Amino acid sequence: MTLVPVLFACFPALLLLIATFLLPIISTLRLSFSQWPGVGPVEWVGLKKYSELVVNPDFHSSIKVTIVFSILSTIGVMLSALLMGLAASRKRRLDEPLRAIWFLPAIAPATAMAVFWTISVQPEIGIVTQLMGKIGLGRDSAWLSEPSTALYVVVAVSIWASASFPFLLIVGAIDRIDPEVLEAAKVDGAGEWQQNRFFILPLIQPVLVVVTVLQFIWSFNGFSLIWAMTRGGPVDSTSVLSIFQYKQAFMFGDFGTASAVGVLGTIFLLTLGVLSLRLAKSRTAIQ
Amino acid sequence: MRLDNILGRGSWGLYRIFITLIILFPFFFIILLSFKSMLDIYINPLSLNPDWAPENFKEAWGGPPGGTGFSVYSKNSAIVVLVALPISGAVGAIAAYFTTLLSPSLRKKFMAIPLLATMLPSIVLLLPFFQIFNALGVLSNPAALGLLYAGLCLPVTILVLHAFFLEFPRELIEAAALDGLGPFRTFSKIVVRLSLAPLLAISLLNIIWVWGETQIGLVLLQAPGSQTIPVGILTFQNALKANPGPIFAGLTLATIPLAVIYLVFHRVINRGITMGGVIR
Repeated sequence: MTLVPVLFACFPALLLLIATFLLPIISTLRLSFSQWPGVGPVEWVGLKKYSELVVNPDFHSSIKVTIVFSILSTIGVMLSALLMGLAASRKRRLDEPLRAIWFLPAIAPATAMAVFWTISVQPEIGIVTQLMGKIGLGRDSAWLSEPSTALYVVVAVSIWASASFPFLLIVGAIDRIDPEVLEAAKVDGAGEWQQNRFFILPLIQPVLVVVTVLQFIWSFNGFSLIWAMTRGGPVDSTSVLSIFQYKQAFMFGDFGTASAVGVLGTIFLLTLGVLSLRLAKSRTAIQ
Repeated sequence: MRLDNILGRGSWGLYRIFITLIILFPFFFIILLSFKSMLDIYINPLSLNPDWAPENFKEAWGGPPGGTGFSVYSKNSAIVVLVALPISGAVGAIAAYFTTLLSPSLRKKFMAIPLLATMLPSIVLLLPFFQIFNALGVLSNPAALGLLYAGLCLPVTILVLHAFFLEFPRELIEAAALDGLGPFRTFSKIVVRLSLAPLLAISLLNIIWVWGETQIGLVLLQAPGSQTIPVGILTFQNALKANPGPIFAGLTLATIPLAVIYLVFHRVINRGITMGGVIR
């Protein structure tokens, strides 16, 4: 089919994509060079917001929190998802219903789950704290209101909430493995773990790499779960970039700084995403 | 039959039970605690025998005194879904189908656009959304937010449906052309009618996303009466700090219907996810 009728058919989609994605990006870029409190005229200030950000200690700490959160959460999510994938594939009994149940955390609204876990880890009355008390751990610890531990609680909950999606993608990759390969391995005497280690893992490696990169990006962008649990506190110990940005704009009325955060975060993520995916591609090409 | 046989071989069986318990833990306790009185939640949250306090649901539905409840949040979520779903579905399906008719190299170039869009973080889109909604006077307007959600759902909609339409039997399209049907009528009369399963899958995926979206909703829906369920939960959480019963009832209302819909349609939905490849 020629290009003209296709363009005609895609016109509404293009228009909507431009309005939803392209124009806002241009707008954010422009706002990042501006002073704008959220109302009134937008004033051009050049690179001022960026130069302020570079020396802003809260921004530095927010970058650190974001990186720590993303790395820990990605490692936890990928390990859980991989183990879950190995445990619910290869036509074991009940694979099908288990996959459905194990995907539930990805269905439930993140905010709702975050509120549940927040109440559950409250000292004394929370059910997780009470369970911890039963096995002899301190039930009066307020992990979520302690700046030194809050981030780890948030990481744990984010692993619970985020492992299901990569799990499903990994299961899909395992399903696509030719069953004859594993049959042959079995005939040759490869045990369960040898099959996993020397056959399944290498065969799904390209998918694992892509999903790990994407999971890092998703963790890096996370907002709802952390916001619902801590609002970035205590004392900014869980204030990731998206929360830092939200506070800059909607609490301090500094849309210029908030936009600069958005621009820098996006440049970082897109560079990281493109580079690591390209690296992964060239490595699998060599193999 | 041994338990081993049902659950899988050896240690996998125990492991599968363990994971299932951790996954179901919040769902179980959200429902259980939503039926407990405040006293029971504080003194005895782990007891499996609730004292059945239906007033939790009454307060969650009607809201705290002088506040807004889930009756309003559900209505707003319904408005947002009803606006977003048909627009993203129709616009996305058309684009997803007609791009399959292009030459492979041109097709890939077209598909790079929605693929790139799925990669963009919301921190680079959020502030202009506020700016535009403010300028147009549609802050706290769920229908306007629905239109924005339609645009945000569009990239995934296009990618998933495009992957499906690529596998649509060419003979049927050629036969329709021989019968004198133009490309647009072929699409509406034949392709759409034979693609109800993927259309259902992408609709359900979009409902799940819209139902849970918080970051943008939080910024654009500031009046409590305009808030959707996930944004409302946050307002609720603030208003009812000392009384968790209605909060759990609210969480039940926010989670369980969606979980049931998913469990009914999980085959269709999971197929849609694996088909669209690595996207969310």
